[in-house]
Amino acid sequence: MLAYAARRILATIPVMLVVAFFVFSLLYLAPGDPAAIIAGDQASPEDVERIRASLGLDRPFLVRFGEWLWQIMHGNLGTSIFTNLPVSHMIAQRIEPTLSLMVLTITFSIVVAIPLGVLAAWKHGSWIDRGVMMLAVFGFSVPVFVIGYVLAYVFALQLDWLPVQGFTPISDGVWPFLRHMILPTVALGLVFVALLARITRATMLEVLSQDYVRTAKAKGVDQRSVLFVHALKNAAVPIITVLGIGVALLIGGAVITESVFAIPGLGRLTVDAILRRDYPVIQGVILLFSFVYVLVNLVVDLLYTLFDPRIRY
Amino acid sequence: MSTATTTGYAAAPVLGDVLPPAKQRGRAMTFVHRHPTIVFGGTLLLIMIMIAILAPYLGTVDPTALAPAKRTREPSALYWFGTDMLGRDVYSRVIYGTRISLIVGFSVAAIASVAGTFIGLISGYIRILDAIVMRVMDGLMSIPSILLAIALMALTRASVQNVVIAISFAEFPRVSRLIRGVVLSLREQPFVEAATASGTRVPMIIIKHILPNTLAPLMVNATFICASAMITEAALSFIGAGTPPIIPSWGNIMAEGRALWQVKPYIVFFPAVFLCVTVLAVNLLGDGLRDALDPRLAKRI
Repeated sequence: MLAYAARRILATIPVMLVVAFFVFSLLYLAPGDPAAIIAGDQASPEDVERIRASLGLDRPFLVRFGEWLWQIMHGNLGTSIFTNLPVSHMIAQRIEPTLSLMVLTITFSIVVAIPLGVLAAWKHGSWIDRGVMMLAVFGFSVPVFVIGYVLAYVFALQLDWLPVQGFTPISDGVWPFLRHMILPTVALGLVFVALLARITRATMLEVLSQDYVRTAKAKGVDQRSVLFVHALKNAAVPIITVLGIGVALLIGGAVITESVFAIPGLGRLTVDAILRRDYPVIQGVILLFSFVYVLVNLVVDLLYTLFDPRIRY
Repeated sequence: MSTATTTGYAAAPVLGDVLPPAKQRGRAMTFVHRHPTIVFGGTLLLIMIMIAILAPYLGTVDPTALAPAKRTREPSALYWFGTDMLGRDVYSRVIYGTRISLIVGFSVAAIASVAGTFIGLISGYIRILDAIVMRVMDGLMSIPSILLAIALMALTRASVQNVVIAISFAEFPRVSRLIRGVVLSLREQPFVEAATASGTRVPMIIIKHILPNTLAPLMVNATFICASAMITEAALSFIGAGTPPIIPSWGNIMAEGRALWQVKPYIVFFPAVFLCVTVLAVNLLGDGLRDALDPRLAKRI
């Protein structure tokens, strides 16, 4: 197990290197010469050349990549072109709303999707099953910003139950915080619910046809216990795998959701950075999100043995 | 039967049918009955394609024509979907927007499938490259695809072509993984071994034996890529990193309607409905194709 964990952790290094290489190339390929921009309109070609040398821009690509990587590993993500603040500082300021949104969405999706999937598999072929499958197709077909606007229109504008947009930090009280998060969470959660409910249903259908489920039923174990203890436990591995992969969907969706509900998180930061072409910020956010994604999937892989002791490495 | 009676055997007494006669359906009806999602999704998609092709003849006006005097009119007999904040006819913009969405969806599906198949074949057949290529694909796949597309769009000028390239780039690593998996399992199949044993060269094996067998999963996957590309295009345009604002794409119409959505929700609503219906059509088609071609695929994709 330890050897497997070590191997699995080592395997993330080349993956993160590829991400870092891509992200670095982004700045390298970005239009515009930073030296010329810093030097200004009045500068002579010699001045530009001097500035270029002082920034280290005249050195080979790989040398610059190595140095940049060294800085990243020491937590230095560079400085924003637009605000002149360190990127790590800007990310730290914006991380709370995004983190809250993601944690709430994952919790909401698990709580809604897994019972739905189990129910659909148990009542296979019934109207509940068909309803869940329809919800799944629907969830994949409606973009998060459309759901967001429909929810905001109905529950905020028409019914006036919830705030239209905005964010309140959790330190200002749990209820104001949750009130602002309900609509974004449900909007972002729908596609995730669709994904999880579908995989839960499919795996449960397979597990429910196994001999040990029949045995459990035959010896009189009650229905709920068969479903949630015998079957769901054995269906856990594919479900958490999809949960891990789905985090990518969640990250992309969070960027859009934050725009719809005017939440000042990392998604807003990304969108603003793109509109201003603030490359260091774009790089920082992509690196962070990819790192989180790789980390989540690493944890998922390591969790397998916990959920299914039959898996040994 | 007739020969039996003429040679003198007694004819069996005619008995009533034990089973009710099988319903006679035409081949078309059988297909509809067996694959309702393919037919439903396909029909919807066909309607959308027709709308895209016939856009100029569907009672539309120039989707980019400005009319500042007629800003933000509610939907009426004259302006079916109303007008936006620059006085452009939302109906015409939405109808012409069908073209952009379908072009982006189909092109991305085609480009990502071709590029992914190429990389997947190389990776599945050339063992030395496999480890390296797949690590690179893993790396690209660990960047959430919308972010990857956003990053690429930040490098270039906004245009439909660049949007297609950016989204294809974000989608193709997944195709290459799929094809590599299919190739690796096909290589072990007896018919490929037989072809190798009888001296068929590798390029010929790939063309005659491997490629045709990747078609089914590739096609199913292409429909899902098409659906996700249309959503990604709208999302990119929506946050201002997609097609240039002058082009009437559904994402752009919604992006422009955002400022007014609390008072004029219809500007966002109409393109949203078109987008959802089109994506739903493609998804249904994909689900139906998957079930029809190979039920086992359901797990791999």
